[in-house]
Amino acid sequence: MEYIIHIIILSAITAISSVSLNLVLGFTGLLSATHAALYGIGAYTVAIMLTRIGVDFFLSMIVAMFISGLVAFLVGLILNRFRDDYYAIATIAFQMVMATVFLYWQSLTRGPLGISSIARPSIFGFSFSSNISFLILSIVILGIIIFVSKRIVDSSFGRVLKSLREDEQAVEVFGYRTYHFKLTIFTIAAMMAACGGALYASYFSYINPPSFYLFYSIVAITTVVFGGLASIRGSVLASVVIVVLPEALRFVGFPNDVAAQMRHVLFGLALILLMLYRPQGLLGEYKL
Amino acid sequence: MEVFVQLTLNGLIAGSLYAMLALGFNLLYGTVKFFDVAYGTVGLVAAYTILAFGRTYDLPIVLVGLVGVATAGLLNYLIYILVYKPLRTRKASSMVMLVASFGVFSVLQALIAMVFSSQFFSLRNSESVSMFKFAEGSVTDVQVITILFSLVVPLVLWLLLSKTKFGRAVRAVGDNEEVANIVGINSSKIVGWTFFLSAVLAGLAVTLVGLDRGVEPYMGLALLLKGIVASIVGGIGYVWGGVLGGFVLGLVENFGSWYLPSEWKDTIAFVVLVIFLLFRPRGILKR
Repeated sequence: MEYIIHIIILSAITAISSVSLNLVLGFTGLLSATHAALYGIGAYTVAIMLTRIGVDFFLSMIVAMFISGLVAFLVGLILNRFRDDYYAIATIAFQMVMATVFLYWQSLTRGPLGISSIARPSIFGFSFSSNISFLILSIVILGIIIFVSKRIVDSSFGRVLKSLREDEQAVEVFGYRTYHFKLTIFTIAAMMAACGGALYASYFSYINPPSFYLFYSIVAITTVVFGGLASIRGSVLASVVIVVLPEALRFVGFPNDVAAQMRHVLFGLALILLMLYRPQGLLGEYKL
Repeated sequence: MEVFVQLTLNGLIAGSLYAMLALGFNLLYGTVKFFDVAYGTVGLVAAYTILAFGRTYDLPIVLVGLVGVATAGLLNYLIYILVYKPLRTRKASSMVMLVASFGVFSVLQALIAMVFSSQFFSLRNSESVSMFKFAEGSVTDVQVITILFSLVVPLVLWLLLSKTKFGRAVRAVGDNEEVANIVGINSSKIVGWTFFLSAVLAGLAVTLVGLDRGVEPYMGLALLLKGIVASIVGGIGYVWGGVLGGFVLGLVENFGSWYLPSEWKDTIAFVVLVIFLLFRPRGILKR
């Protein structure tokens, strides 16, 4: 039972990250490979605030959202000048810069040692220390994120995003400042990703830089593409599959380090096969 | 002054490596028009083949090197046949190709790490290194070879591309694949060769890195980034542009490390990339 709760919590955290990436990748059509970095900023902010300053989890989560959003806004100012594959390359480069920051800004992040004993959230004297209560908390936050995302994509703002994905120049001709739309959604997605990062840090009570490397951006992209671009339901479903599938490897009985590498192989193969045979994913509306 | 000379030398050595990385990347991008994220990691396969061979057989390094570089080329050709060729026949966008290459990257890197562990390996033992004095700095024998390679390899590639029938076919496919097909060029074959050659170039660069410093499974991405930045700085798609860009990047990085710790070299590369993409997206040698 404990194990099932663990799986559901992981799925919920993954779903937060993939739903938010879907806003950028699926709805707006920007191939961002820097999601893990923005998620990592959330995780690190919460970890640092909880362990060093000792403030409340929910307050630090809000600060984390703000910082991650601010970074995304500033980087987005530059990234938005690029299109398609140049955009992707610039995001990869930024992702690598952030990995360097996590690893080498040691006075802040403690570098490769990572930050340990991060507290569980608590509010009004009630602590989410048991896994079942943490499960409820993460489901609630995921629910809020799904609700907000749905509101965004169903609004007129969301319709502009979708048309931007189809033909950016046409949208510009109609007088929309596509630049602002792209920047806004990128910032919003980063804030949501930071929530996921915050939950991740608090749940595992330990974070270190490798958890926020490019590979996890690739995992997030795989999840979104697998579930289907521009399908929020698909992203949630795919998150569950992507968490459960590698767990199966554990039962096959590989040693731990081999199992970790097997996950990389599995995700890579999944991505290649998706591109070859089903580029629209499970429930997707359109192809990449 | 001593520091200045050494930094210039280091910059030139790094620049030669980046130049070679940029050559292969440019060749591929110029012909197939997509960013191959697995490019650096495919190059790593050459170094690891050499490592595996050197352990089991006592052969001269040149021979083992050829085997390693050819293995990387063949592997990339195989990847082309299995992954990119079907995608290209379907007229998939460059974004789809890029996402597929994320997958290739992930699989290759993990396989290397599984077989060879994540440790850092040098391709030679450090006793056999001989040092040369040059002005007020010093360079190793491998570094001298690296600089020589960075002058010879672009020349060979340039001759290949501009003077031979094969080279004309490559450029024709890069310009317009459909027209190339109409005039009787087998574009699929040409693209296959491009994949092979680009991996050979990447493999050569990585092998030199491995002989000089060493290799680890996770360095493919940083190598790719250097290749891309050098290509973009010099002018993407041009042989000499990549070489120029490589040397510019190498020098900028090394003089940057005068002020910043060397861990931030990737960050310097990123800043250079952004500056060029913003102000001169088609490189120094834009046409």
